[in-house]
Amino acid sequence: MSHLVIEANKLSKVYEGVVPVKAVNEVDLQIEDNEFTAIVGPSGSGKTTLLNIIGGLDRPTTGNIKVNGNELSGMKPNQLIDFRLNHIGFVFQSYNLIPVLTAKENTEFIMLLQKIAKNQRDERVESLLKEVGLGDRMDARPSQLSGGQQQRVAVARALASKPDFVLADEPTANLDSASAFKLLDIMAQLNKEEGITFLFSTHDQRVIERARRVITLEDGMIKSDEKR
Amino acid sequence: MLIKIAWRNIWRNRVRSFVVIFAIALGLWAGVFASAFVQGMMEGKINSIIQYEISHFQFHEKDYREEFKTELYLENTSEIEKQLNADDRIIGYSSRLIAMGMVASANKNGSAKIVGINLDDEKQVTKLDTRLKEGSYFEGIKRNPILVSTRFAEKYKLKLRNKVVVTVQDLDGEITAAVFRIVGFYKTGNGIFDDLNVFVRQSDLRNLLKIQDNDVHEIAVLSNSSDLSDPLAKEYQGQFEDQEVLAWPDLSPGMRYIIDIFDVYLYIIVGIILVALLFSIVNTMLMAVLERVKEIGMLMAVGMTKSKVFMMIMWETIFVSMIGAPLGLLFSYVSIAYFGKVGINLATDVYEEMGFSNVIYPYLEAAKYLDVTIMVVFMALLAAIYPALKALSLKPVEAIRKI
Repeated sequence: MSHLVIEANKLSKVYEGVVPVKAVNEVDLQIEDNEFTAIVGPSGSGKTTLLNIIGGLDRPTTGNIKVNGNELSGMKPNQLIDFRLNHIGFVFQSYNLIPVLTAKENTEFIMLLQKIAKNQRDERVESLLKEVGLGDRMDARPSQLSGGQQQRVAVARALASKPDFVLADEPTANLDSASAFKLLDIMAQLNKEEGITFLFSTHDQRVIERARRVITLEDGMIKSDEKR
Repeated sequence: MLIKIAWRNIWRNRVRSFVVIFAIALGLWAGVFASAFVQGMMEGKINSIIQYEISHFQFHEKDYREEFKTELYLENTSEIEKQLNADDRIIGYSSRLIAMGMVASANKNGSAKIVGINLDDEKQVTKLDTRLKEGSYFEGIKRNPILVSTRFAEKYKLKLRNKVVVTVQDLDGEITAAVFRIVGFYKTGNGIFDDLNVFVRQSDLRNLLKIQDNDVHEIAVLSNSSDLSDPLAKEYQGQFEDQEVLAWPDLSPGMRYIIDIFDVYLYIIVGIILVALLFSIVNTMLMAVLERVKEIGMLMAVGMTKSKVFMMIMWETIFVSMIGAPLGLLFSYVSIAYFGKVGINLATDVYEEMGFSNVIYPYLEAAKYLDVTIMVVFMALLAAIYPALKALSLKPVEAIRKI
């Protein structure tokens, strides 16, 4: 039986300035486990801001957000860091791997922060990199990998901590079609076979077509919520 | 892993890292070598004082050093000499008669310190005979030979075997004079000493001053080690309470003061250089942090705590400093060892005028290297703090927005 992984109630985020901007406007959102959901919308619609709030990187101006029943709004900064480490996987548009570490070390890094034993780390790193099709490129540094390969390492890294869900902000934006499709195949397979919940922010049609739920944002509000 | 990341990070921009490392090494070398140069200069001066002037400690009649009166001599010094002869820590001693008087040549006259020496004793204590530049050590002239410095000879336009008239006040307070003939020219490298001191046989001066045998103004004693100067002086002072027994730093208090000042010179000059380096390191590390805003933001986003980010930057700064510092110290050690042997000839008389040798042998105590290392470590930690704090001030969400 599925349960709520993310539960947002009346989330709003206002950026103060000469003219205050309401980036997210009273959004109610529930994401269940095993979902493969895309948040879509034009630039400035609030996709990234919403994702940042869900990921505990930003705080809402009003409203509250729960992840697996844990209320994020009341957490202290250090608690949030710890929560992100153990519960949320991140995939960024620009991959953002540590350039001086190999694919293996980039993936292992998160588990080191979690203080997981070496034998467990080695086993999991190998398994994850094989899953994303990089079993033979484990010792390559990011500069020696293509964009698509780097993004697959980023996915392996996001999964290394065994998170409750993965937030992917425009993960295919910098990839060519072949790499984008391969990445989406891998993520879809992980979702299907291992039940990993993915939440994308995207306006890439290739991602939207694969998503089983598409939430459309406009001016910070949910315009539509389509389940397929 | 943090240390691994930090170590690899410093090699991301090799040129920049090498420039900083080289700057640290060069700065440190400059500071340490300058200090060794000054210390070598001071050591030269101390050696000069011990070798030619004071020796390790001296006996005088009380008040002699303040008044320099002919009548303030040490009476019957046989007991002092007996004790010194029996002490195996003593290399040698030289009894001297001293008179402040006038020396006149055909061209010039002026004041001088006329020192009456026992020729063999003086050889043992001051090695005066080894400093001869011309002439001989009181040989070849039977009556009243006098040894003057090359500087003195130049000023008085003197040549070997020239005559000079030495005028002193005798024990009765009478002005008395005698003709002396130049037997040789010496040079110690200490201009002030050379300008002032002329040497004659003790028996010749004794006749002039009318002082009895066994009575002298000064006994200069050379021991096995400079470290024994103070303890031996105190020990002998206890035995000969009626006389004044002082070690060389007390006999030359100005020198002790200068040594104390120059002891902190190293710390001042290295400190100044390290402060300059500190800003250079801070600037470089700050650049390294600011060009990695996204990366540091990502690290924080995925769960790296602020303390770990702080430590990562600290390690990077410390690594850069700790590569540069040993290089600088090694270079310092090698150059000080080399120039400590061959010396640095300043080819100028300026230092000699001030009583220092023209040839400087840089020298630095081993303990000072440790002190400098500690200063560098402290500087490295200090330099690391600001860039690390700057990294901490980054907000992951702002970095994420840039992605």
